[in-house]
Amino acid sequence: MKKRITVIIVTVIALLTIVSYLMFQWLNDNQDIEEAIEQEFRTLRQYVEDVYAIEYLDDDRALVFYSWDFPVFYNFGVMELEKTWRGWQFVESISNRIEVENAWVKGVYAEITDYVILRGPMWAGIDEIEIITDDGREYRPEIGRAEWQMWYLILEDEPFEEATFILYDSDGEVLREEVLQFDLNWPE
Amino acid sequence: MRVSLKYKVLIILVLSVIIGVALYYYGTKARQEQATGEALKDYSYIAREYALDAIYKSKEFPVEVELYPSAYTEAILERWKAISERYPELDYPESAIEARDWIEVHKAFEDTDLLKDVIRKMYKDATIAYEGLGGSYITLLDYIFYKKYEPSNMEDIVIDLGIEPPREEE
Repeated sequence: MKKRITVIIVTVIALLTIVSYLMFQWLNDNQDIEEAIEQEFRTLRQYVEDVYAIEYLDDDRALVFYSWDFPVFYNFGVMELEKTWRGWQFVESISNRIEVENAWVKGVYAEITDYVILRGPMWAGIDEIEIITDDGREYRPEIGRAEWQMWYLILEDEPFEEATFILYDSDGEVLREEVLQFDLNWPE
Repeated sequence: MRVSLKYKVLIILVLSVIIGVALYYYGTKARQEQATGEALKDYSYIAREYALDAIYKSKEFPVEVELYPSAYTEAILERWKAISERYPELDYPESAIEARDWIEVHKAFEDTDLLKDVIRKMYKDATIAYEGLGGSYITLLDYIFYKKYEPSNMEDIVIDLGIEPPREEE
């Protein structure tokens, strides 16, 4: 009798464990990253935010580019999320105050976990940006649009302190050239 | 199936311990979540008001957020300092600012009666004529934090008092 009860209890526990694991896996695989991002903003208490882009570094890591602080949205942030057994989870977030004003393009340097990120707001009429560094490297940063427009570059090689930004309109014409400087020692 | 009294007592004891541990765990977790939420709310408010850069390293208990002044923070502090130099009752907490203890820094604005007194004196000391009720303490905060003048005539007041330079002629 006792043996039968033990077998039943062990079987029930084993079944519950397997079903819970499968359900966790299923929920994890089907989790909507946008809902996860919204949840992270809620817990960060950064209300009324605007997401410009979600950049997947690999299957389990993503960077979210956003700005917050209604009504001006001058706090430009980047947040790293990692997919764990609990779903998408917050890793780190950096928020920089950049007042857009009448500038063509602005930018800041930041390091988030293992990545160097350059990013900033830009004027709405800019369609494409070409970055040329003093040592001749060229980059085409991504552009995200929401309340403002944000360019961003995930740098995989050496960071640079200064670069020329060539700003193009939608016809491919050069609108302007701007030289931006980056403080590589930020935040110290 | 008959279960002996010894087993019954044992099961009740085990269940009591499990329930006790669970209650303690969830109670502690709830308190930590509340403290975490309050701390993050404060950081978000302070970062916004003082135009600070922020690095959120942990948003779980214990919260780890680093705040750094931006170029816009410096402008806020300059306006605050200029008013404090003329009206020293509005404290400018130099040491807390240097220590970057922004939560402590913001305590200078807790006493609204003091702020009302400062703005009243500013309007009284100004030599320009104005109509209406003058500024409220919100007018003072709007000027310091956002350099926002509307809907008051605060711009004329701060220029008249020499806190801001005169307007450039177009």
